[in-house]
Amino acid sequence: MRYRTTLRVGPVGFRIGSDWRGPIAAVEALYRDYPRAEFADFSVRLEAGQPWRRWLRPSIHIGGDYRLPEAAPLPLAQGLLAAELGMNLQMALGHRRHVLLHASVVARGDRAIVMSGISGAGKSTLALLLAERGWRFMGDEFALIDPASGLAFPFPRPVSLKNESLAAIPAGRVTGPLLSGTPKGDIRHVAPDRAAIAAMDEPARPALLLFPRFGFPSAIRPLPPAECFVRLTQASTNYVAMGEPGFRALTRLRAEVPAVAVDYPDGEAGIAAVEALWAAL
Amino acid sequence: MDETPQPYRTDDDGPEPSRAATSSRRALMLGAIGASTVVAIRPALAQTTGSVLNCQIPVPDPGRAGSYIARDGSTVPARTQGSFAPPSRPYTGEEVKRALQGGQLPNSNSLSNRAYLNYIRRLQRGQGGFTCYASLQMPGG
Amino acid sequence: MAAPRYRAAGAELLLVEPLDMFTAVFHRPSGITHLLTEPAPQILRALADAPLDAGALLARLSREFDLGEPGDAEAMLLARLAELEAAGLVERV
Repeated sequence: MRYRTTLRVGPVGFRIGSDWRGPIAAVEALYRDYPRAEFADFSVRLEAGQPWRRWLRPSIHIGGDYRLPEAAPLPLAQGLLAAELGMNLQMALGHRRHVLLHASVVARGDRAIVMSGISGAGKSTLALLLAERGWRFMGDEFALIDPASGLAFPFPRPVSLKNESLAAIPAGRVTGPLLSGTPKGDIRHVAPDRAAIAAMDEPARPALLLFPRFGFPSAIRPLPPAECFVRLTQASTNYVAMGEPGFRALTRLRAEVPAVAVDYPDGEAGIAAVEALWAAL
Repeated sequence: MDETPQPYRTDDDGPEPSRAATSSRRALMLGAIGASTVVAIRPALAQTTGSVLNCQIPVPDPGRAGSYIARDGSTVPARTQGSFAPPSRPYTGEEVKRALQGGQLPNSNSLSNRAYLNYIRRLQRGQGGFTCYASLQMPGG
Repeated sequence: MAAPRYRAAGAELLLVEPLDMFTAVFHRPSGITHLLTEPAPQILRALADAPLDAGALLARLSREFDLGEPGDAEAMLLARLAELEAAGLVERV
């Protein structure tokens, strides 16, 4: 493709190609502190569809090694978002080296908290707030669980903050442009701090499994084993594809790590709950 | 907010069954008619994959082309009595999904519909259409 | 005609993980994970060695457990066996 770049996030290398320069420039700016990929595990392609659509009402079709035939194209102005979605898609459909969980991960020392939840449950904002308080940010979209060791490997991509959460952007961070009118509303990407990026090859042992719910009165509930296991399978984007190693990894995670459902009304309460649970381990 | 989260003890069936005259066996419910005790976990596909899957499920898979479908979904030699000729084309994920929710597959009557669905439900990993079938079973479409 | 006998799928085909009142079972040939609730795990264990017909299985289970009112116990057992068979966890011999 005409324009291209590579980048590495934790154990995964991406090649991103584009029919326009803009998205590549935006990616390189947001990922300026990330290493290049020596090896590309996945390709993302931002394509014009028809050749004349490079100029006429340009819109981006997200493609790559894996693609979704029915995915709606995005306007050129949202090229960075297209690249991010493209990378998510490759991971969700193609990654097999780890069990993937829809979860954010932060670490203190060599132990990690895995916070599992769908978009909107607050896992991204919690991860960001905890990172502000000295926790190491290991990712907010995918938790990578190594089937052999049970360790969580970092995948610290930029966090995409939406709408109300935009107010929470910490000072001094590398950010992308404000993208308005996306399918999810207003979005801005915020890179993790440089320490988190520099530590992207250091795994941590999961020590606490949280299922947070934002916007509810404070409540803590230990999860019974079956509920925890089923929620983990529901949170895993590649559980079926992983087959037996997936089953073993999630049964092991469930057996070895305490699991708690946490409801919290606001960020401060969430942080307090997390710190209290961690202290009680 | 005080509980230390503890891993639950995994349950087993309790003490070894006693051979003494007095029964110390624990109760076991054989279950209710209509309530299932074996449920396949249907993991959600990635949130990013969208709701409509363009995959296909051939009945039967290409490795068994020419076989007929018995009422229980197994493949049998062509023209075996009581079995059904396969449909003329693969079904799309969308068609199978609707049929699993109570509709009917195209090009079938109520009998062959059931046979085809039983075939699809018995698909194993490695057979054509299995990944498509597995991916249909995500909650909420 | 003799009643059909049932046997659990070979141990090498299953990964069994007791959780709490549920047991997770990974069925290797299909790659499907099943969640079992009683009496399915107990039936699976009872059928792990020699094949049993429904009557013998009922007898075996009632030695180990208190099954309550006899009622239509055998019919319920057959319903349970049908579920296990459909999932490939039990087979007929």
